[in-house]
This record gives sequence, structure tokens and C-alpha cells, in this order.
Amino acid sequence: MKLRGKILSGFFVLTLMLLIAGVWSIYQLTSIGASVQQLLDDNYRSIEAADKMLGALEREDSAVLLLLLGRWEEGREVLVSADSEFEAALQVAEGNVTIPGEADLIEEIREAHGRYEELWARPIVDTPREGNLTWYFQDTHRAFLAAKGAVSALKQLNEESLYRTASDLKNRAGRAVVPGTVASLSALIFSILFAYFVDRLMITPIVQITRAAEEFARAQKPFALTVATHDEIEKLASAVRNLCASVGNEKGWDR
Amino acid sequence: MRLSAVLWYAAVTLLLNAGFLLLSGLVSVLYADRALFPLLYSALIAALFGFFILVFLPRSIDITPKEGLAIVVSSWLVSCMVGVLPYVLWGGEFTVTNAWFESVSGYTTTGSSILNEIEALPRGLLFWRSATHFIGGIGIIVFALAVLPALQVSGLILYNAESSEWSPRDFHHSARRSVEVLFKIYVSLTVLEASMLLVCGMDLFDAITTSFGTIATGGFSPRQASIAAYNSVAVEITVIVFMFLAGIHFGLLFLAVRGNVKGILTSSPVRYYGAALVVGCVVVAASVCGGNPENPFDWIRHAVFQVVSIGTSTGFATADSSSWPALARLILIFLTFLCACAGSTSGGIKVDRMVVFLKAVVRRLRELHHPKAVIPIRMSGATVEENVALASVAYIALYVCIVFLSACVLAGTGVDALSAFTGSAATMGNVGPGLGSVGSTSTFAHIPTVGKWVLSFTMLLGRLEIYGVLIFLTPGMWRR
Repeated sequence: MKLRGKILSGFFVLTLMLLIAGVWSIYQLTSIGASVQQLLDDNYRSIEAADKMLGALEREDSAVLLLLLGRWEEGREVLVSADSEFEAALQVAEGNVTIPGEADLIEEIREAHGRYEELWARPIVDTPREGNLTWYFQDTHRAFLAAKGAVSALKQLNEESLYRTASDLKNRAGRAVVPGTVASLSALIFSILFAYFVDRLMITPIVQITRAAEEFARAQKPFALTVATHDEIEKLASAVRNLCASVGNEKGWDR
Repeated sequence: MRLSAVLWYAAVTLLLNAGFLLLSGLVSVLYADRALFPLLYSALIAALFGFFILVFLPRSIDITPKEGLAIVVSSWLVSCMVGVLPYVLWGGEFTVTNAWFESVSGYTTTGSSILNEIEALPRGLLFWRSATHFIGGIGIIVFALAVLPALQVSGLILYNAESSEWSPRDFHHSARRSVEVLFKIYVSLTVLEASMLLVCGMDLFDAITTSFGTIATGGFSPRQASIAAYNSVAVEITVIVFMFLAGIHFGLLFLAVRGNVKGILTSSPVRYYGAALVVGCVVVAASVCGGNPENPFDWIRHAVFQVVSIGTSTGFATADSSSWPALARLILIFLTFLCACAGSTSGGIKVDRMVVFLKAVVRRLRELHHPKAVIPIRMSGATVEENVALASVAYIALYVCIVFLSACVLAGTGVDALSAFTGSAATMGNVGPGLGSVGSTSTFAHIPTVGKWVLSFTMLLGRLEIYGVLIFLTPGMWRR
């Protein structure tokens, strides 16, 4: 193959390896980014909704205590607000069912909260239930704990799934590095190899030809160099050899 | 020494591996598994390097013996490096160390594995794993020579470097013809065994990959339980027969196919090899049956299989020999060192050397009785030269020393003594399984990282008959 072909092929291969390394890295980064987004959509949104539901339940419980103390206005305001927040968060969780068992847990939350709501929805102030801590601890608080437990179970399910998915993502990220690393290392090794070939098969023969020609001109030393690279450099060496032989013949120099 | 000559043949090796990687990729496509990308990517890298070097470098002729040796060793190393790529790109159980161990184990036809879930791997990758046995079995250089135009002198030098000093070189053919003969026998045996395994009820994929492992005396099976997974007497008998054949010098097999059976029958190494296996089978079977009087047929069956498997350095398994009586295990350890004939794909010290060693010992005893007697050592009717006899003794001593050193290093990393010693012997002899925690139903996964690199090195030492690798690493090798 000609010199131009050799050099171009070397650069072509190098470019291809670097291109592969670059494209693969971009693809993997994009893929991992999409996976992270999906992780947030699937799990984190549900965890956030569960946290809001837990907060709302706590405020509902506080509101019930306020009602027990006879503070109707404050209690009613907090209760309405908390209930509204709970319902909104529950609807977010209902629209984000992505894990097996999650739908059952949400149904359980709805039922448990429904039972809890039945208890505090009945009038408390100015009734025998006002100030009745026994009723609170035996009925209302238990229903509150049951609802809270169901919501906590939903949160835990999503947290475990988040952890598993994050671990998978971490492994995937680790593996995603490998092809890019392989391509980069290959490109590095190839560069070294290419540099070696250019030095040994191009530069060195040219230096040798130059040196031999100078020796011929200076000391009439025969041009005995043989280059076997099967390209223009070999032809150059052959041409210079023939030239030197011709000049030597004309001048009667020993070959 | 011309680095360009070494690189040129290394490039041919790269292209050969790229071809098999592409073939494995095709298997991946057929089975629609996820190994396509790792295999194709690896093939691309190997092909790019290979083609580029061939484009740049002129073909080398008149290779010197030193260059021939460097070509053989570097081709093995290059192949092992290429073999790492698909494993590393796949991931899973394959860390860099594990991938290197599995790759070297494949090409050196050892068969030791780090995989705890072989069947979880995609078919394309399993095919590649077995293909490394196929390539390694015949020797990468022999493959290269089989497809290149005749290079009379260079071919002879490369063949000499690749084959054991004990392989009879003169079975009436030139070096190139010898290579062609070896290749034909190798492929024929592989095809024949795969066909017979299909008849025995194996599916096509398992039949091909198992035959790759048998004829190369490698031992990689597509099943975690190895041959035991098939629970078939017909399969076991077929594998036993072909393991035995793979342990005989391929040149003798070629002569036998051409009608000259006398060569095999009168060959001393073959007779000793056969006798060692028969005696081994009888002793191990008796030992195992003695400890397990119920179901004697099953125990005999397992004993025969394990003896032939270990004695040919194949490494397939049908039972856990680690739990067998001490005598049976000791016989297996001896066979791990001995293995089969030179000129086969088997590893180990080789029967030929052991026979010369024993004859040298007998001669020494006779010389003590008759100090002035001239007692030549003969094998297969020919006289063994003194330097060859001395080389055998030196080789065996060096071999044992290396096994011992390797065992010490492994023991130093926390591996128990039995596993360290038998694991080192099994890798040095390219057998595969040892005893203890690296037994026939276990893996090398638990061996520490340092231990895996040491064992990988011993695999290469064993496959290249020690001196090849040691000389390759000496500075004098690379002086101009």
C-alpha cells in the first residue's frame, strides 16, 4: 500500500476508535440520565406523597385534640386543611402506582383513613366526646395509628424500591464506563503503535537514505541501503541507489 | 530480532480471533441474546488492530528461531487479551481479573472457571468461551499457518516453537503438510464428536460447545454441572472415547485413519498412556466402590469418566471427586501431573517425558550394577539422545518446582493447602479442576485476586512448556 494510504488508514482507525468512545459515552450518560428521571418519577414522587400524607395525618390528630379541648374554630380549620392536603397527596400516590403491591397499600390507606375520618367527622365539641380522653385513646388514636401505619408501609415500599433501583443504576453506571474505557485504551495503544510504525517505517528509512546519500557524496561510500517497505520510500531508496551507481560509474568510483 | 515480524503474525492472530468473535456474534443473533454488542465491539477492535498492522507492515519471511518463539508467545498473549474484551464488556461476574483468568483458561485449554452461574450467561458469550478452547487447542500459530501461503522456512520454525519437543516431527510430511494434517484431524474429531453427541440426545449448541471442550482437552461446558448435567451414559461414553483420542498424538491418528494402525499400537507413549488410564480406572473404581458398596455401576462409571477426564487434562466432571477416598484422590493428583501424549492437545508433563524419566531411572539402577555398561534409552524403537533425556529430567524438576512455588503463593493468600497444591497442579497441567475448594464441582471464583493472576501465569507456563515463556521474558531475547 502507498504511503498516503498507510497514513490515512492510521488516522481513520484512530478517529473511529475515538468516535466510538465518544458516542458510547454520550449514549450511556443520556441513558443513565433518563433512568435517574424515571427513578424520581417512579419512586421519589410516591415517597414525597407519603411524607405529605403523614404530615397531614399528624395535623388531623392535633386538630382532634383541639376539638377535644373545646377549641372548635381552630380545630375545624386545621382539620379541613389537613384533610384536603391528605386527599391531594393520596391522589398523587394513586396516580403513581409503579411497584407490585403498591395499589393494595393505597387501597388500605384509603380504607384506614376513611375509618379515621368517620370518627372525627362526627360532632365532638359540646358533646359527651368533648374532653373524653378514653374515647380518644381507644377509638380515634388507634384509627389514626392504623392510617399512619398504612402510609408508612407505602413509604417503605417505595424507599426499598428506590434503593434497589439506585443500586442497579450504580452497577449500570460502572458497566457503562467499560466500553468507553476499552475504546479509549485501544485508541491510546493504537496511537503508540502508529507512532512506532511512522518512526520505524517512514522516518528511519528516510534518515537512513539521507545519511547514505551524504556518505556517498562525501566519501564515495557505496550506497548499499535496502529498504523493504513496499511504498514510495522503497522507490525513493531504489532511485537514489540507481543515481549513485550511475554517478559512480561516470566518475569511476569503486562501488 | 525483528519486532515487525512478531507484530505481523500477532496481527494474523488478531484477525483469527476477530473472525471467531463475529461467529459468536452470529450465535448471539440466532438466540437473540444481549451479548451481541460486547462480541461485535470486541471483534471490531481486534479487526481494526489486525488490519492496520497488516497494511503497514510487509510480510516477514526467513523467521529466525528466536523470532518464531516470540511469535508463538506473543500470539498467545495477544489472544488472551482479545479474549478478555467480551467478558469485561459483558460485566456480571467478570471483573478484569476474572475476565483475564477465564480468557487464559480458555486459550490454554485449562478449563478452570470463575463462573458460579454459567447458564446465566447468554448463548453468544458461552459460544465464545468454548471457541477460545477450539482456537487454543490447535495452537493459534498452526491456524495462521494453515491459511497462509506456504512459508517453508518460517513455517517450520513456527511449528517447532509451538509443538512440544516430544511431538514426532517426521511422519513423512513437510512442516506445512504436518500443520494441515493436525488441522484436519482436529476439525474432523470435533465434527465427529458433535455429530455423535447429537445422536445421543444433546441439543446442537451443547453438542458443538462440548466437542470444542473435548477435542481441545479444555473442559469448558455450557452447563454448571458439566457433563453430569446430562445424566446420560451414552453422552459420557462418547465424551470418554473422544477425550481418549484427543490425548493421542494427532499425527498417529492421521496415520491410523490412512490405514496404518501399527503406528499407534507400537508407540511406547500411547501404550503407556493407555496403561496409565486403565490402571487408574481400576484402582480408582475399586477405591470408590469399596467405600460405597451400593450402586457399584454408577461409581465405576464416574470413576472411569473422572480418570480419563483428568488423565487427558480435559477437566469435565460427572461427580465430585473431592469427596472420594484418599487413594482415588491421590491417583487423580498423579494423573494431573502426568496427562497424555505429546503432539496432542493435552497438557501436563506428558507421558513421553515421564517414560524417558522412568527409563533413565531404570538405566541408572542398572549402571550401578554394571558401571561399565552402555545402556541406551529407547523409545518406540529409537534411541533417545542423552541431552533429550537430561532435558526431560530437568523439565520435570522445574515443573514440580513451579507447582510448589505457585502453591506457596496461593497458601500465602489464605487458600487451604490441598486446594492450593491441586489448584496449582491443575492449572500448570492445563487440567482445570483440582481438589478441595477448587474441585470438579467447584470454581476458582473464591481464589484471591493475586492467586488468580499467579494461576493464570502457570496456565501459560504449562501450555507453552515453561521455557517458551521464561525465555520470552529474558532481556537477551529482545536484543538485536
